[in-house]
Amino acid sequence: MAEFRLPPNSRIVGGITHPKPAGAAETRTVRIYRFNPDSGENPRLDTFTLELKSCGPMVLDALIQLKAAVDSSLTFRRSCREGICGSCAMNINGVNRLACTTALSDLKGEIRIYPLPHMPVIKDLVPDLTTFYAQYAAVKPWLQSSTPPPPDKERLQSKEEQEKIDRPAACILCACCSTACPSYWWNSDKYLGPAALMAAYRWIIDSRDEATGERLDALEDPYRLYRCHTIMNCTDACPKDLNPARAIAEIKKMMLERQS
Amino acid sequence: MPSRPLSPHLGVYRFKYTLTTSILNRFTGAALSGGFLLLGYWLFAVASGEGAQQRAQQLLGSFVLKLFYAGLLFAFSYHLVAGIRHLVWDTGRGLERAQSQRSAWIVGIASVLLTLVLLWAFFCPRGAA
Repeated sequence: MAEFRLPPNSRIVGGITHPKPAGAAETRTVRIYRFNPDSGENPRLDTFTLELKSCGPMVLDALIQLKAAVDSSLTFRRSCREGICGSCAMNINGVNRLACTTALSDLKGEIRIYPLPHMPVIKDLVPDLTTFYAQYAAVKPWLQSSTPPPPDKERLQSKEEQEKIDRPAACILCACCSTACPSYWWNSDKYLGPAALMAAYRWIIDSRDEATGERLDALEDPYRLYRCHTIMNCTDACPKDLNPARAIAEIKKMMLERQS
Repeated sequence: MPSRPLSPHLGVYRFKYTLTTSILNRFTGAALSGGFLLLGYWLFAVASGEGAQQRAQQLLGSFVLKLFYAGLLFAFSYHLVAGIRHLVWDTGRGLERAQSQRSAWIVGIASVLLTLVLLWAFFCPRGAA
């Protein structure tokens, strides 16, 4: 059953306001969700003043600057800073996106940063993605084929066959889509979520894969696949402009087609 | 392992066209079920003779309930048009971001127009609302 309220230990209580840097001309206010597992306290919402002159253009630059200049305990994941590793996915001004590809200038007013929604928080902006990765593993995201590969070359595909999997295979597993989905919020223990389902789709339509039937069998379940109600938050959130909602709709169509 | 807090969800996620159209579809569906209860009561009253009919007319004719009926007409219109949008989606069409953004607006405008048409058809010919 959907639990709309946050549990008592998860409600945001208070927050620290860090003083404005002296002599800063151009500034932005940034509010950031903080949780320290060692304090035994509830999460809080801290207020920072960002000095724009010495800061790079992206939200990730702002986080790095605040960590360096204001509070070194500010914790977040980041790696590639160019939208390909998927580490810095977070909820910025109400929408899930990558901090490294979100420009500060595209955000109006005060900037509010939370961890990816409805996830267990390890510290500050770092969510526990164990379930998310387990769901990805559950769709067996690798080539399954009983036919041995040709001895002297790769398993070949036509250009058209490759183009079909181009977009779904470009997923970076940042979890922006799944954690934007209300169905996933209420049923993440049973519903696979858009990211895992798009991964399943990517292998179902792969011309070299021979486990299509088994893959569809594994998804034939009231929760795993059919908790998708086409809310479209996944496709709207995807920072790589991919379309998990379409992938899920195509899987549902295949389920129908193989029955007739 | 310490008990980890759950990150905020409904409270922080922005209500864009996606969430808004979806939650409205739920609410209008639930409102229609409520409306059916009233309809059931009214049918029973009509079938039960004049006394029950008169009592039903007094009860159901109040201004507040009339407002509720207007709301029900909107619920009907919205649920119908949004249902058609879902049917189109189920054929695998209209699922690109820009398309679903456009269809959200179409659903909103079409359902308000349909509500106005229904209101006019139900109330205006007799001259009194």
